[in-house]
Amino acid sequence: MRVALAEDGALFREGLLMLLKAAGHEVVGAVPDGDQLVALLSIRPADIAILDIRMPPEPDGGLVTAQRLRAAHPDMGLLFLSHYAESHYLMRILEIGTDRIGYRLKEKVGSVDVLTDTLTRIDNGEIVIEPVLAKRLVDRPRGDNKDAVAALSDRELDVLRLMAEGRSNNGIAGQLYVTPKAIEKHIANIFAKLGLHTDTAAHHRRVLAVLTYLRSQRTGA
Amino acid sequence: MLGSAPRSGDCPGDPQGAAGPRREREQWYRRRHLQRELHDGAALRISALTLRLGLLRHRALPELPADADGPAVQDSIGELQDELHAVLEELRDVAAKIYPPLLDEAGLGPALRGVADQLQLPVAVVASGERFGPAAEGAAYFAVADLLASLPGARAVPGAQAVELGVRREGDQLVLSVSGIDACRAELHAELIDDRARPLGGTVDVANVVGGVRSDASTITARFPCE
Repeated sequence: MRVALAEDGALFREGLLMLLKAAGHEVVGAVPDGDQLVALLSIRPADIAILDIRMPPEPDGGLVTAQRLRAAHPDMGLLFLSHYAESHYLMRILEIGTDRIGYRLKEKVGSVDVLTDTLTRIDNGEIVIEPVLAKRLVDRPRGDNKDAVAALSDRELDVLRLMAEGRSNNGIAGQLYVTPKAIEKHIANIFAKLGLHTDTAAHHRRVLAVLTYLRSQRTGA
Repeated sequence: MLGSAPRSGDCPGDPQGAAGPRREREQWYRRRHLQRELHDGAALRISALTLRLGLLRHRALPELPADADGPAVQDSIGELQDELHAVLEELRDVAAKIYPPLLDEAGLGPALRGVADQLQLPVAVVASGERFGPAAEGAAYFAVADLLASLPGARAVPGAQAVELGVRREGDQLVLSVSGIDACRAELHAELIDDRARPLGGTVDVANVVGGVRSDASTITARFPCE
């Protein structure tokens, strides 16, 4: 696979570069910040860009950079590496995209097998979330998530599927030819059926709903 | 009103009483700095080590004869990597107690939601993305963390009322409001917040009157001088 890498810590960048090469991947470039990554990828194509979340040009430069990359190269996979597995960052990542995207802890990609598995799944269009974080989020609403997803009506499932594609309420409304108000009502029903209560912040529930759906797809496939 | 009285013996040589809050602000800056040092130093080096171990594991493989201890060596390296992950988790715990990285990077809203999630408490957080400087944010964060940790497990109480946290700016003050607190325990909770607000020169109020009617739920309002 052709991989580009941006990470401001020299030690970690060099280590990852060597591991990627050992795993048989072609590293098209390894740079210390987001702006250089964007410049690099404008001349050299890659299948996946690996980004540190906390790097220049901003405190969370990896996220800003990823947004630009997703707009310029929609088919390129994005793998975020971070020292923290935080639902806050996962939400921001899912706002950038819900396919060909991944979020893993830095110390958890330290083997040829795990690294290649992560990159392959992203290249196949999947979303890869650090298992410990995915478990924390999906386990939170008690009960069987698969049954909960099965309890959704066809229309609610359509709405959830479009949510999982990262669409806004207005975007979903446009796709289904209904008003945004009707979508809000569907989403409230989805949250209730999935056991995501009103005590959770709205955008947080949205992510949980999407994760529940994605999880049910995987176990059902 | 709690914390409105001057603290006896606080900076006797300073008529403005500003030295105490200044020292306290510096403490918060120092805490944030220590947390960043942990991340940029030790944590990054250990993460890089896991990569080097991974490389070692990969390179060790082809050189070993088929009947040798290849898999055992591989397993041992894998165990070392797991051990380093555990070390990093401990460092993360320590860093969070010094100054939470998420608070540093993303502010009070995301950090407070994180605390509520970890405690599995029904907490609604109303906060803009506005920043208030490390002292006010640190003090407000730990005040809320102390308070939430002292609440009875909300999941054990059916129909427990959600606590609502509000963070906003009024001039050069960060205003933290905590509503939905059991009125019987409100003074106790207010003291926890006061312990964090007062050293910075902040104040804490408790009210349990909503629209002129006495309520069994209180609202605590704390004001922290901020940047």
